[in-house]
Amino acid sequence: MSQFTAVSVPKSETIAIQVTGPNQVKLSGTITQKDPSSDLAGFFKALHTAAVADKLTEVRADVSGLTFVNSSAIRLFVDWATWVKNERSQRYTLRFITSRNVTWQKTSFTALMSLMKEVLAIEQVT
Amino acid sequence: MESANSPPESIKPKPSAPLVFMRFRPAWAYIDGIREFGRFFCQTTFGTQELADRACVVIQETLENAVKYSTNSDNSELELSIESDGSNIEFSVSSLPDSRHLDSLRQELNGLHTLDPEQAYLAAFIRASNEPDASARLGLARIRYEGGVELSMREEAGGRIRITATGKL
Repeated sequence: MSQFTAVSVPKSETIAIQVTGPNQVKLSGTITQKDPSSDLAGFFKALHTAAVADKLTEVRADVSGLTFVNSSAIRLFVDWATWVKNERSQRYTLRFITSRNVTWQKTSFTALMSLMKEVLAIEQVT
Repeated sequence: MESANSPPESIKPKPSAPLVFMRFRPAWAYIDGIREFGRFFCQTTFGTQELADRACVVIQETLENAVKYSTNSDNSELELSIESDGSNIEFSVSSLPDSRHLDSLRQELNGLHTLDPEQAYLAAFIRASNEPDASARLGLARIRYEGGVELSMREEAGGRIRITATGKL
């Protein structure tokens, strides 16, 4: 049984979150809370832990519908990529599905990709 | 005759005065609304989505910092202004921060200016990755890189500071 799909999804007023498959999660809306880690850090960590337990080779995080986020939220994506990079036993590729029309996604994920090429992949959609 | 994309004459920027001036209590609840007003204002006045997106980053991150570190006194209102001389745009946020925050802000800005904006943003990512339990501290580097602006800080009377972000239109 997939642990990834069993991860409990946090509720938030400004973000819609769905686990859409055994290795896919989709986020849309905006993340501008003062401390987004209180909603999302535990969720991302649970997805990471589940991905390792499920021996996934790739996790697809569709963030193309996240129209704006603050830097505290960007930090959460840095943390997730760091967990994967530091994973020795069951490393997977973390693939971010991004929109080429959303400026923050182009700049921030390109920068993150340049630092963690070995564990990240970026896919652009319209 | 005005083209379809140019702003109407009535809202064309006049260099002699701020285009926007707002004063408000340092409350997190206001930031989303002010950022989206900034997006609308820049899109409507200058007619470019790219500038509107840059404005959102500058306004969000400067206001977040100002709100986070403001004192709780009666005169701690924030002031946001947007000005343009026709070639450049300037966003300016004045606040009354806790004095304990000033040293770290000075250090952060000095460190940023030793690197070009992209390198400084990458360095901030590396720092965040290496210090998982520390606060993010990505905001100022993000403003420079994604906002396409240079940052400066001026210390003013009464303990107020003014962070100014200046970039090309």
